[in-house]
Amino acid sequence: MTVEKLKEAVRKILPEVDVVIGYRQGFDPLHATPFFMTKPEQVDQLIWNPLCVQNLCSYLPFLKGKVGVIVKGCDSRAIVQYMQEKLIARENVKVIGVPCLRVISVKKVMAAINQQSVQEVTFEGENILVKTPEGQKTIPLADVAPRKCATCQLATPLQYDLLAGDAIQSNRPQDTFEETKEFEKLPLKERRAYWEKEFDRCIRCYACRNVCPMCICQDKCIAESRDPHWTSQRANVTEKSMFHMIHGLHLAGRCISCEECERVCPMDIPVAKIKKKISMDLKELFNYEAGMNPDDTPPLYTFKIEEATIKEHEL
Amino acid sequence: MAETGFLPKEKLPALLDALSKKFQVFAPVLEGDVVLFKRFASGVELCLTRPANLPPKGIIFPQSETLFNVNFKKDPEDLKKTSVELKENLDFAPTIIFGSRPCDAQGFRIYDRVYLETDIADPYYKGRREKTTIVTLTCNTPSPGCFCTSVGRGPAESDGSDLMMTELDKGYFFEPITEKGKEILKEGGFEDGSAYKEQAQKAHEKVSALVKKPFATLEGTPEKLLSLFDNNQFWEGETAKCISCGACTYLCPTCYCFNITDEQVGNTGERIRSWDACMFSHFTLEASSHNPRQNKHQRLKNRVGHKFSYYPKKYKGVIACCGCGRCIRYCPVSVDISEIVAHAQGA
Amino acid sequence: MSYVAGKELRIVGFLCNWCSYGGADTAGVGRFKQPTDLRIIRVPCSGRVNPLFVVKALLNGADGVLVSGCHPRDCHYSDGNFYARRRLEMLKRLLPFLGIDERRFHYTWVSASEGARWKNVVTDFTKAIHELGPFHQKEEKTE
Repeated sequence: MTVEKLKEAVRKILPEVDVVIGYRQGFDPLHATPFFMTKPEQVDQLIWNPLCVQNLCSYLPFLKGKVGVIVKGCDSRAIVQYMQEKLIARENVKVIGVPCLRVISVKKVMAAINQQSVQEVTFEGENILVKTPEGQKTIPLADVAPRKCATCQLATPLQYDLLAGDAIQSNRPQDTFEETKEFEKLPLKERRAYWEKEFDRCIRCYACRNVCPMCICQDKCIAESRDPHWTSQRANVTEKSMFHMIHGLHLAGRCISCEECERVCPMDIPVAKIKKKISMDLKELFNYEAGMNPDDTPPLYTFKIEEATIKEHEL
Repeated sequence: MAETGFLPKEKLPALLDALSKKFQVFAPVLEGDVVLFKRFASGVELCLTRPANLPPKGIIFPQSETLFNVNFKKDPEDLKKTSVELKENLDFAPTIIFGSRPCDAQGFRIYDRVYLETDIADPYYKGRREKTTIVTLTCNTPSPGCFCTSVGRGPAESDGSDLMMTELDKGYFFEPITEKGKEILKEGGFEDGSAYKEQAQKAHEKVSALVKKPFATLEGTPEKLLSLFDNNQFWEGETAKCISCGACTYLCPTCYCFNITDEQVGNTGERIRSWDACMFSHFTLEASSHNPRQNKHQRLKNRVGHKFSYYPKKYKGVIACCGCGRCIRYCPVSVDISEIVAHAQGA
Repeated sequence: MSYVAGKELRIVGFLCNWCSYGGADTAGVGRFKQPTDLRIIRVPCSGRVNPLFVVKALLNGADGVLVSGCHPRDCHYSDGNFYARRRLEMLKRLLPFLGIDERRFHYTWVSASEGARWKNVVTDFTKAIHELGPFHQKEEKTE
């Protein structure tokens, strides 16, 4: 799939919509940035490569009119989840699906090149080539991809009106939540100390909340509201933990595991871990995965009279 | 005592140990992959290779501070009478910020004009500022997104710092800028620095040339931005991708907006001042529920305008952006303030 | 509300108005002896209980939280407790992940006639919390 095919798809969709959201080059060779195209000449700036990490679906619930959007497989789960929760009018969205096998994690690349400034980035086969003042480094994409890519089942998006390329399979193993299970083996005290240390760094910038495609309360978020007053303005671990609990619990059964929250945290807090734990539990309890089937109902929105998987707890 | 000083690298921990006895010292340390300013403790290794994720602004302008505690006391003789006991928190310890960057230190100069150079100086800011000595490390390489030389600053700019330190081969060259800086040089372990001054100068010039220049000049930019105030199409185009979080403002060394909240449980409470962010949707939300900056393009226009237009117009052309690049680096969608300004110049 | 420092721990209970609160009432009328640590908050239905109530209680000073509602199929509002069951089960599994002992949160179903059962629930839960000790090792300062 070349970027030319993508540009062709965008040019085709553009007359039918008010804006098409895609990617263009960002502030340095290692960053892509969302790009809102309204005119055909803008389409020339479109890029498509593993730098295109942002989940562009996050903009959809807040845009009026007809919108075109470029989605990768992981992003497309947001579209499906929006359909389940009726957060978008599907007929007003033109989805341009793009087959994707892997993106990069900027944080992992920077760690691999020792935080040097990036002069040039190219992609060759399964590698990313990064040129820094220290020289050129060839890094396998698999080494600097975010956690989600290793278990990706959606190389081809679930929802699309136009597919820019051929449908492909990723042939990757299913997610068995090894990381979550390993963490649960640690002693209780260690788990608590771990989270207190991680949350202590939080500055409550709400980047994780605002980038999340499923967090649509934004202006009314209870983590910030004065009435009701759930959290204090004090900058201590209790309040920070409370925000993360609010965010995680409000996403229970809705989180599509796009891991954008973890990508954007400026303080490197592994926020996606909590959501993965909840996703793992809900899969076990209700055999449910968010964002897979538009006709599903999120598990916490419904119930069964007899719950085979929930046994009453003894004291 | 020599005018300048030189400290061999191996003597740095001892210097910090000695300073920790008289001051509370904050220095950058590595926690995972994040560089943070933390209270220095003996034996802790510093990370001086890149700027901290969060600038040291929180040391003088804390993210959340209690301005005063309140206690409501009912008169047992006459229950209708309530007296109020207020206790201000104005005790500040002598502090050193060690290993700040020139752009970080610049932020405090921006705050000084607003918090101190007024009829009533902010006592909380003043108290901390007067008791803090800023030791700044000059940069030996630019950081992704930074552009300090285009906003009237530089990788070795001393305005805002008390003592400048430059990393050389075998040690650090120290140059005092203020009396507070000279005090630090009185500590043991420093050699005469005069032999290293030229070397440091050359290093500064070399780095200066490497810093990215997103625009040639800011001459006329304050006026240009003001002229674009009603151009909604321009601002909507620039801000379409913004997600209205607070990462840019919280990580910005020159952002100084705050919120005041009274929190009370029963008869005791406190008044808390905490960071606010003009990017949040409720930044200008009024009690009546009217919101003059309802839309995100209005809010980003305010942020860019404040730094590159309103502040310079009020304070003799000083740009309220130090060019550190954090807002660009950490923005979830890579909104680039320097690019917006460049576009505005051409619009 | 002050608690008897040194003797009592802070245990918060969310009881549904119809069954569990009634059950607690029955236990009272029957003069059953119970520990006094539990502080009850009455809610219309266990379905009203937002998992964040439990989290907020634990993070802000509670040593244990108990939620009790009508037996499934007997909800006064037909299906409130069905939703509660799903939410609270999810929460019960999440808390240990964050380092909070799962025995500090318990949810159960007690009907209005089950006074003796209520006494047992309270006694056993309070005992379990006392065995675990305070959740906040030192009084957490408010800043």
